[in-house]
Amino acid sequence: MKTYTDLPSDAGSNIIGQVTAQANRLQQRLTSVKHTVAVMSGKGGVGKSSLTANLAAALTLNGNTVGVVDADINGPTLAKMMGVRNATLEYTPTGVKPAITAIGTKLISMDLLLAEDDAPVLWNAHSQKDAFTWRATMEVGALREFIADTEWGNLDYLLLDLPPGTDRLPNVAELIPNLGGIVVVTIPSEVSQLIVKKSVTMARDILKVPIIGVVENMAFYVCQHCGEEEPLFSADETPDKAFQQTVLGSIPFDPKLSRANDNGTLYLGEYPDAPASKVLMQVAKKIQDFFDEKMQRSP
Amino acid sequence: MKFLCTDCDTAMKFKDVTRPEQGSVTALFECPDCFTEIAMYLNPSETQMLKSLDLKLGGTNEAAQPMQLVRSQLETAKGESMPDMFSAENSAGEAAEGGKCPFTGVISDAFQEDATPPEPTGPTWTAEALERLERIPAFVRPMAKMGIESFAKDNGHDEITGEVMDAARGNFPAQF
Repeated sequence: MKTYTDLPSDAGSNIIGQVTAQANRLQQRLTSVKHTVAVMSGKGGVGKSSLTANLAAALTLNGNTVGVVDADINGPTLAKMMGVRNATLEYTPTGVKPAITAIGTKLISMDLLLAEDDAPVLWNAHSQKDAFTWRATMEVGALREFIADTEWGNLDYLLLDLPPGTDRLPNVAELIPNLGGIVVVTIPSEVSQLIVKKSVTMARDILKVPIIGVVENMAFYVCQHCGEEEPLFSADETPDKAFQQTVLGSIPFDPKLSRANDNGTLYLGEYPDAPASKVLMQVAKKIQDFFDEKMQRSP
Repeated sequence: MKFLCTDCDTAMKFKDVTRPEQGSVTALFECPDCFTEIAMYLNPSETQMLKSLDLKLGGTNEAAQPMQLVRSQLETAKGESMPDMFSAENSAGEAAEGGKCPFTGVISDAFQEDATPPEPTGPTWTAEALERLERIPAFVRPMAKMGIESFAKDNGHDEITGEVMDAARGNFPAQF
């Protein structure tokens, strides 16, 4: 009797061919992207999306073409933060035209596809019972399509805003084998550092993805009256010691930044001299330097 | 997945796939030598997993539509973000192009649960017979239904009653 390897194909479904076609579609799209950067933390509530939105703006203001993938499928916030929540996606035979901000940053987000403000991401299924067995697979499929089917055009940078947890990074690393680097976001609290260290280990030791550096968000608070810097949290270790990684910048907490995110306005444009704006521009510059040096090393 | 006709020692070929019924898809495979058919039942979880991977049983000759997985599977989507990828207009366009696999349409939307089932063309079911059909385990029900309808057609019955089911019962392993 013939064995599995004796049979020439899988009865006509060509599952391997279908999976290969999906991967090829993704790789084809990525050929027009110079650098891919994942913004991750592992910990929720540290400001990943805020940082992603503002880094994308900073890189755009520096003259780069920038696209952003809101990889937080279930908690998408970037369309609001970047002021494009009312954008209507346009479908063409070759892809989906992304939302474009006032300064030209491109965005794809699940928020642009959902019907209502209070609509959760609900997938078509005979039953939502036991959805844990397939929902993660569906989300990775959605992420693959976000990257592969968006008409990005030529991009200098494609940023991916990852949801909390360490589980999404392996998915992204698999989808984008040449992921350019990771920006790790933390806040100066021991709780945050405890969780973020796991993400650093996952990226550095297990997935072997380059870590561009760590951004310490909400690092301190600048008193609006006297200009004194006051800590908001109280971790014993500084981020360079805690993570043994380059610190790209420590961003002060600024209520105006939070308000700009809520309003979808350009913080860097409204408050270019604010301390947080200066750090954000420095972080963007360091990311560019990271890739410039990388390209010089391997032209 | 590969299937072997053990009598002929020949690889079986994909023949057809049903739309999901109660979340379960049935795929038919046929031996190209002796034409023996077998049915593969995917339980709802397996069907859902295949949907989540955006894979088509029987393969596809169609180029992928942009964001076809999200657009076809996101229930809470905006209306305008969910154009009907399988509309009559699209089908007509494909027919005009020619050269497409005749099963493509069936396979492509095989995972779309039928919101408005087509007008029945075979024998009709009495209420009693439908009630008995419901008692058949869900995972074999689609195949049993097809088998009973086939038996009714072959034996000249326009209506499937309890008596017809009794007559057909000998042909099936499942009790109903």
